[in-house]
Amino acid sequence: MSSSNLQKALIQTWAFVFKNWIIAKRNVFSLFEILFWPVVGFFSVGFLTSFLELDPNKTGFILVGIIAMSVIQVCQIDVAYVLLYDLWSKSLKHTFIAPVQSSQLILGSWLIGVIRSFFVFLLLSVCSSLVFGFDFWRPGIGPLVLFLLGLFLTAASVGMSVCILVLLFGYMADIAAWSLSSLMALVCGIYYPVFILPFPFPEIAQAIPLTYFLAYFRSFYGFDEGFKNVLGWGFGLAGLYVILEAILFKAVLQRARRTGALIKLSE
Amino acid sequence: MAECIIFVLPIGYMQSAICLRVTEMSYAIKAEGIFKTFRSGWWKKRHKDALKGVDLQIEEREIFGILGPNGAGKTTLLSILCTLLLPDHGNVRILGMDGLHDGHEIRKRVNVVSGNANFLWSLTVKENLHYYGMLYGLIGKEREKKVETLIDIFNLAEHRNIPFDELSTGTKQRLSLAKSLINDPEVLFLDEPTVGLDPDVSIRIREEILSIHKERGMTVLLTTHNMKEAEYLCGRIAFLKEGKILTTGTAEVLKRMVRIGDRLKIEFKGRIQEDELLRAEGVINFTISNNLCEIVVDDGERRLGSLIALLSRGDTQIKKVTLGQTDLEDVFVEFAKSTDSDMGLRV
Repeated sequence: MSSSNLQKALIQTWAFVFKNWIIAKRNVFSLFEILFWPVVGFFSVGFLTSFLELDPNKTGFILVGIIAMSVIQVCQIDVAYVLLYDLWSKSLKHTFIAPVQSSQLILGSWLIGVIRSFFVFLLLSVCSSLVFGFDFWRPGIGPLVLFLLGLFLTAASVGMSVCILVLLFGYMADIAAWSLSSLMALVCGIYYPVFILPFPFPEIAQAIPLTYFLAYFRSFYGFDEGFKNVLGWGFGLAGLYVILEAILFKAVLQRARRTGALIKLSE
Repeated sequence: MAECIIFVLPIGYMQSAICLRVTEMSYAIKAEGIFKTFRSGWWKKRHKDALKGVDLQIEEREIFGILGPNGAGKTTLLSILCTLLLPDHGNVRILGMDGLHDGHEIRKRVNVVSGNANFLWSLTVKENLHYYGMLYGLIGKEREKKVETLIDIFNLAEHRNIPFDELSTGTKQRLSLAKSLINDPEVLFLDEPTVGLDPDVSIRIREEILSIHKERGMTVLLTTHNMKEAEYLCGRIAFLKEGKILTTGTAEVLKRMVRIGDRLKIEFKGRIQEDELLRAEGVINFTISNNLCEIVVDDGERRLGSLIALLSRGDTQIKKVTLGQTDLEDVFVEFAKSTDSDMGLRV
C-alpha cells in the first residue's frame, strides 16, 4: 500500500471516530453513558458491599467486576453506535455507498470507544480508591494494561455482535446494544465467581474471554478461580471472536446488499 | 506461412480486444438481463419480482432518465447500478468495471443523491460534508477546500453551522447534492431528487443539476416520476413498468412512439360536416358537443391550416382555436395504463 493510500485508509477510519465524537459531544445525554450510569452503578454496588460488611478482598472482587462491566459497556456501545447512528438517521446507505471497508468502520468506532471507556475507568478507579479504599493500580501498570486491553477486545467483539444483529434484523435489534453486555455480566461472574453458577453456565462462561480477564486481574487480589493460562485463553478467545465476527460482519453486509436491507433501513 | 499465421493472429486478437475495450468504455453504465426479487416473511415465502430482465446502456456524459410509476422498480435498478444492492441475475458494468465484483473500486468513482435526503441529524452542514469527505479519503486541506467550494456552489454558507435536522427540506436536498460531489464522481445517481420539494425549490435543484453536469460532464442517471423533470434534464429516457423497460428514447421519440396525437379544440358557430372531418388527413378521432369540436390529430401544427379551412366551409364560423400538444405526461399515462402486449404493438 502506497503512503497516499495508507493516508486515505487512515482518514477513512478516522471518519468514524469523528462521527461518534461529534454526536457524543453534541448530545448531553451521551454524558449519562460515561458519567451517570457507570457512577450510579458503581456506587450502588459499592455501598451494598459496605452494608454487607464484606472484607476488603471481596469488596475488591466486586468492584473489579463492576468497573470491568462499565468499561465494556461504554466501549461496545461506541462500536454499535457506528451503525445505530446511521440507522436512526436513516443515512445508512450513504455510509455504504462510500468506498469504506467494514474493518475501517469497526476500528474507527472502537478507537473512540477505547478513549471514552478509558475515561470511565480512570473516573471509577479514582472513586474506588477515594470512597472504598480499593487501589485499582496495585497490580502494576503491566497487568492493568493487559486487563484493559482484554476488556477493550471483549467490547469490540460485543459491539460487532450488535452490528451484525442490526444488519440482520434492523430496528428490532438495536436493543441488543444494551442487553448483550448485561447478559454477559450474568454469565461471566461480575459479582460472583463463575463456579457458583448452575450447569451449564460455568461451561458457557469459559467460552467468554471476559471470564479469563476478570480471573487474571482478581488473581492479584488473592482470588484463584482455578483457571489455567488465563491470559492465553482470554486473548486467544477474544482474538478469535474478533476475527470471526469481522468475517461474519463482512458476510452479513454482503447479505444486506443482496436482500436490500441497506436500502430498507435507510427509508 | 507459419510466420505469417503467428504474426497475424496476435494482431487480430489485439484489434478485437481493443475494439471490445472501446465499445465497453464508451458506456458509462451497461446492464444486461438484470433480475431482482425481494423475499420477505419468516420462510421467505412472500416475494416480489422488482426487476424482470432489465437491459440498459448509458453513454458517458449522458443524462439518462428512468421514468415510471411508483413501484415500477426505479429505485431498485438505481440501487443495483450504484452497488448498494446485488442483482439475482444479470451483468452490470460501471465505468468498465464489473458491478458485482469491483464494488469497492466503483464506489470511489460514483455517488448518489436520493429524494428525502437523510444524513446524520446532529451533524452540521459543514460536519456532514467533512464526514463524507473523510469517507472518500480526502485529507486535510484538500478536504477543507473541497467542502468550502461545495458550500459556495450550493449556497450553503449561511447554513454551514446548522445541524441537519434543523434545515429546511430544500436545504437538505442542496446538502445532498453537495455531498454527492465530494468525490468528483464520474457517474452520479439521482433517485427522485426533487420529490417532496416545493415547485420553486425543485426548479432550482434541476437548474443546479444541469449546471453541475455542464460544468463537470459526468454521466447522470436520474429516476423520477416527474415528466417535466425528465423532459427538462434528460437526453434519453427509459420507461420502466413492473420491472421491465418498455422503451427507451428521447422525449420527442417517445411522444411520437405512443401516437396519442395533439389535441385541437375548436369553438364554432354553425354546423360541422362530421363525415368530411372523419376523412380528413391526420385526424385520429374527434368529438363534437355544444359548439365545441375536439379533434385528435397526428401533428397539430401541420394539420391546423387544412382543418380550419375544412371546418370554415359553408356558414360555419370558427370562434376560437386551441392547440394542445402531446407532452411527456400524456406519454407517461399511456405507458402506465397499457399492458405489455399493447406496448409491444406500439413500439
